[in-house]
Amino acid sequence: MRPGSRIGLCYPNSVTYVALTFALWRISAIVVPIPMECTGEELSTIAESMQLESILSPKPLGQGVPLPPDCFFTRRAPRLPPDNHGLNIAFIRFTSGTTNTRKGVVLCHETVRDRVRAANQALRIGRGDTVLWCLPMSHHFLITIVLYLSQGATIVLARHALAGPFLEAVNRWQGTVLYAAPFHYALLARDGSGAGLSSVRLAVSTTAALPQDVAEGFFKRFGLPLIQALGIIELGLVSLNRDDPLRRWNSVGRPLGDYRVRILGPDDNGCGEVAISGPGFFDAYAAPWLPRERVLRDGWFGTGDIGRVDAEGFLFLVGRKTAVINLAGRKVFPEEIEAVLNRHPAVRESRVYGRAHPHLGEVVEADVVLAQPEADLETVRGLCRASLAPFKIPSRLHVVSALPRTADTGKIRRAVAVAEHG
Amino acid sequence: MVEAREIETELLAFLYREVFAPQVVLTAETDLIAAGFDSLSLVRVLLFVEMTYGLWIPAGEINAVTLRNLRALAATVSRLLHEG
Repeated sequence: MRPGSRIGLCYPNSVTYVALTFALWRISAIVVPIPMECTGEELSTIAESMQLESILSPKPLGQGVPLPPDCFFTRRAPRLPPDNHGLNIAFIRFTSGTTNTRKGVVLCHETVRDRVRAANQALRIGRGDTVLWCLPMSHHFLITIVLYLSQGATIVLARHALAGPFLEAVNRWQGTVLYAAPFHYALLARDGSGAGLSSVRLAVSTTAALPQDVAEGFFKRFGLPLIQALGIIELGLVSLNRDDPLRRWNSVGRPLGDYRVRILGPDDNGCGEVAISGPGFFDAYAAPWLPRERVLRDGWFGTGDIGRVDAEGFLFLVGRKTAVINLAGRKVFPEEIEAVLNRHPAVRESRVYGRAHPHLGEVVEADVVLAQPEADLETVRGLCRASLAPFKIPSRLHVVSALPRTADTGKIRRAVAVAEHG
Repeated sequence: MVEAREIETELLAFLYREVFAPQVVLTAETDLIAAGFDSLSLVRVLLFVEMTYGLWIPAGEINAVTLRNLRALAATVSRLLHEG
């Protein structure tokens, strides 16, 4: 490896994961996290599009060389040598994106530093803190793990996010900060063990909208409010609702520090696209390369989220401009699933969408138009299982005779997909 | 009414098909968490149970006892179905 090498890190949550990341940064290599749930096909896509020179993984990939303990190093030859455009890159986070968006969010070391500083003005993590961790490090690392370590805090990796083992870990290690998804808090809120969370000073809910019953149930059970946060990979930690988590349980709070929020093209209810400016902006998209300056509009980043800001400056997210599906905090891009479905010879075309789900936010479903009416849908599901990480596989495939299209451009009409099966 | 044994068979097939790697040896008594059953696996199983039996396992039932192994999970699903 050499400075600027792009290295894929496909490794489970562990102390080793953290050590490998910091070791790669120590030699000025670039870390590209790869979620463990990726299929071989997805891993190949990431490796090729991110121009990885090697991959670190807990199991050998082809001709992997063992690196004790429990790690394999697999060298690969990207078709084109990566061009880092002279930047001091720390991290490239692959995102599937849509056909219209760029893949891979590029973050320099200076950007990571700015983000960590900005986030900690609100989180106030210090040496006395112990953070209980249960989210995948491949999805959450910079304004969390890096921030905690840089402030001298302790991180406890929870053995499991089930309420019993999680509460046991919090109380055994006197955890002070929880950073988890609504799904995890829902399990905690219904715990009947009687164990408390007396050592915890801050419980942050992130990755998906917090349902009201979870917010209220958690507060009733533990006497501790859940604080919603808005973290965006292109921006960092934008807001945190420390000021009014009980009355405004559904707000992601006011913008932190130097972040600013604007609502673009607000409707009569004040709702429009949320645009943000502030420190720690991403540096570029990686594939194809697109520098930040060409993405921002007058210094503002359009998030694709629809929201409103109330009279006291609290931001509420009410929807999305894009078709991205959020399944219990995992982002799913419909176009990626449709590309797999459409590869099956029995499928003429397909449309993937999120159906609202009371406990998971959304679940993935698909409409398929069959090219062969007698086709066995199980073979279509089999292709999905072979090609897609499990959380991306549609829960249901609906056979339809045609897909609705927009009158003007003839594109698949997405906005009404959920309502039609509701 | 669906019996626990039948649910166990369905769940075992589902876990082999969609959750665990083929090399994982799974029986009705296998400790699921020790075998690598994580939050994402839990979401998949909850959705499978909901789609197959029309039952969402409530959060209060999702604990280390229910997820001790497949037999315990199937027994919980069967009991909840019987309770209506």
